[in-house]
Amino acid sequence: MVNDTLQGPAEGQSDPYYCELNGDRGKRIAQLERVRERLKNLDISTLVSRAREAENELFNLGITFTVYSDKDAIDRILPFDVIPRVLTAGEWQIIESGVVQRVKALNLFLWDIYHDGKILADGVVPKALVLGNSNYRPEMRGLDPPCGTYIHINGTDIVRDREGRFRVLEDNGRAPSGVSYVVENRHLMQRAFPDLLAGLKVRPVSNYGEQLMARLREVAPGGISDPSIVLLSPGVYNSAYFEHIFLAREMGVPLVEGRDLVVENDRVYMRTLAGLARVDVIYRRINDDFLDPEAFNPTSMLGVAGLMRAAHAGRVTLANAVGTGVADDKAVYAYVPEIIRYYLSEEPIIDNVETHICGTKEGLDYTLANLERLVVKPVGESGGYGIVVGPKASRNEIEACRKQILANPENFISQPMIDLSVCPTLAGDKVQPRHVDLRPYAVTGKETWVLPGGLTRVALKEGSIIVNSSQGGGTKDTWVLEEDGV
Amino acid sequence: MSLLARYAEHLFWLARYLERTASLARIIETHVAFDRVRDDDVSWAWLVALHRDEEEFAKHYADPSLKNVIKFYIADIENPGSVRFAIRAARENARALRAVIPTEMWIQLNEFYNRFLVFSDRDLDPIRIARTCDQIKSGCYAQLGIADSTLYRDEGWRFFRLGLMIERADQTSRLLDVKFAQIATGAGGHGRAVDETFWSLVLRSAVAYQAFHRFEPRGADPNRVARFLLINSSHPRSASSCIIEAQRMLGELRSGFGLRGVSRAQEEAEELLELLQTAAADTDLVRRLHTVNDSLQRRLMNLTSSVGIAFFGYTPVQQQSQSQSQS
Repeated sequence: MVNDTLQGPAEGQSDPYYCELNGDRGKRIAQLERVRERLKNLDISTLVSRAREAENELFNLGITFTVYSDKDAIDRILPFDVIPRVLTAGEWQIIESGVVQRVKALNLFLWDIYHDGKILADGVVPKALVLGNSNYRPEMRGLDPPCGTYIHINGTDIVRDREGRFRVLEDNGRAPSGVSYVVENRHLMQRAFPDLLAGLKVRPVSNYGEQLMARLREVAPGGISDPSIVLLSPGVYNSAYFEHIFLAREMGVPLVEGRDLVVENDRVYMRTLAGLARVDVIYRRINDDFLDPEAFNPTSMLGVAGLMRAAHAGRVTLANAVGTGVADDKAVYAYVPEIIRYYLSEEPIIDNVETHICGTKEGLDYTLANLERLVVKPVGESGGYGIVVGPKASRNEIEACRKQILANPENFISQPMIDLSVCPTLAGDKVQPRHVDLRPYAVTGKETWVLPGGLTRVALKEGSIIVNSSQGGGTKDTWVLEEDGV
Repeated sequence: MSLLARYAEHLFWLARYLERTASLARIIETHVAFDRVRDDDVSWAWLVALHRDEEEFAKHYADPSLKNVIKFYIADIENPGSVRFAIRAARENARALRAVIPTEMWIQLNEFYNRFLVFSDRDLDPIRIARTCDQIKSGCYAQLGIADSTLYRDEGWRFFRLGLMIERADQTSRLLDVKFAQIATGAGGHGRAVDETFWSLVLRSAVAYQAFHRFEPRGADPNRVARFLLINSSHPRSASSCIIEAQRMLGELRSGFGLRGVSRAQEEAEELLELLQTAAADTDLVRRLHTVNDSLQRRLMNLTSSVGIAFFGYTPVQQQSQSQSQS
């Protein structure tokens, strides 16, 4: 395949963005060169036809999310790009240790703010930002989750700047989704491109379920050696339902809904054919608000009344714990480097992106003076909603954004626009650079394990830097090389 | 640990919908393909009577022509008795089971459903409908076959088989009932009671054609056909075979899995067998066939109801309806 993108920049030219395939690693990486060589030798029409087959397969396998209209339920696949994103062993070492460090600090932070609040008393993180946060749950005060773990499952959104440096863009410590695509994308690549993978030493991802299971067993309530674990889903109408199926299947645990569980005498039970059976650990994919109508939103039909009582009584472990949303808040994010220094006395292994908090005077002034150069994000939103990208916005959009910020400054942060790295991506019948990010998944019981790789999300629209699936993003298989040499 | 009760419920209904779909598709296919007296004014009212849909059908369609009947029973999503409704319901049940059933089952059913979604008017044209019905039938058989060779043999498997057997017995009984009613009213052409084609159609509709002719070298007559389909215990679709198998499943749930909740259902299965034994001894079965079928169908409903009350949280007054799967 003769293609500029795969060949790298022409002699004497330099790319405006770091390229995940051709970017300078500072040394020769033999395995990476083999990947480049194989990609170059693929015929474009082969690539296109195999890509189409792969997407068909995703559809028939039901690796889909469902969009509901008035009359119909339409299954959509998350667009899959067949050109993999490769991480060297050296790069992975940085990401893995950086993620482990971050999760450790966030768990210590959560324990602290739901107990003594030392970090607040010491003035490292503003008290109001934490205690006044809508995701801070006073109901969690005094509750001691096993192993001190609040965030059992975490997703860290990482980007790479123009120089090829990794930076954390966001933490996801509530119920990060997408890990099912990591594993299914690999299976798909193994079927569609066995020739591309043959003989390469790429780290496996298919043991995620076993690892997750092992960590969840570690956090069972004290004294239970053979805990009963379930996955709690809002049900078939949830857009992430496929992922719930995947996780339950890979762990070999029942996929339950609220109506399958009942709390009696502060113990959680599941309705089985033979009657009620005890449940010890719940990996819940229902938001805090809807989890327990007795403790939170009383109108919730999805949750189970009494779960919080059972958690307080130490009879059940909820994963993730309630109230972790305060740790992945976009404003609290700005303090994570300080949080790491405070609890671990270490420097952050992966830096944050410079962040201006509009809730502070300096942050607000700076943001308003530089709107054209900044990316403005609402604090409470997820899924890429409400983001205004200054350099790409119109005059009117900028002014509308200014008004919104002024009306409610606490609700916004701003960051400089990061020149997200690119990866060669199939666009129609051409291969072109598209921006990518990376979400590695970490599971924590006593210790933290990070799935090698993670979800590479790609902005399929030319020039776009928003990779969220709700905004036209797709995914790629992510290959972590076992070793960088021969 | 015992199986999540809801899984058992979904397995039970998954099997029922598959069996119902296959049965309906086969009946339509058989009649389109083999009915020699077929012409444009042949009424398909009997098929509407099979599921007691006369009232609902009359609301939406002018007459029971083949075209209208196909529309109502294959494509009409508003009709809970249609193939389209049943396939969707089967898939919804399977979707809720995806974490437990083998991926192979889900993939086949999902592909089957997706293929069905793109069926066009062309596929529903009377010229092509036999082929379309054949595809539908094959899709269901494939799913049942995959289940048979891959589904884990726990309580769930027994509930799956139980649903399958109850539905199959019900379908066989309804087919017999409506066909004998057709003769009694003289519908479908004169002298059809002695018409071999007529009985061939009935037998083919119950996949009993070959076996019947091996078993009954004297050929078809109303009495022999009725007995074969009701009480021949070697024919896997006879009411007797189905009840015996259902009884076996209930027994295994009790002895192998300690589920005492099956006792009421066991009593009902026992009564069903007694009903069939009485019918077998009846020298004038044909005349009393409708009464037998009526009783059979009612008892099958009671059986489902008892299973539902014992395991799926149904309340005694709750009617069993197709929408159970939608839960």
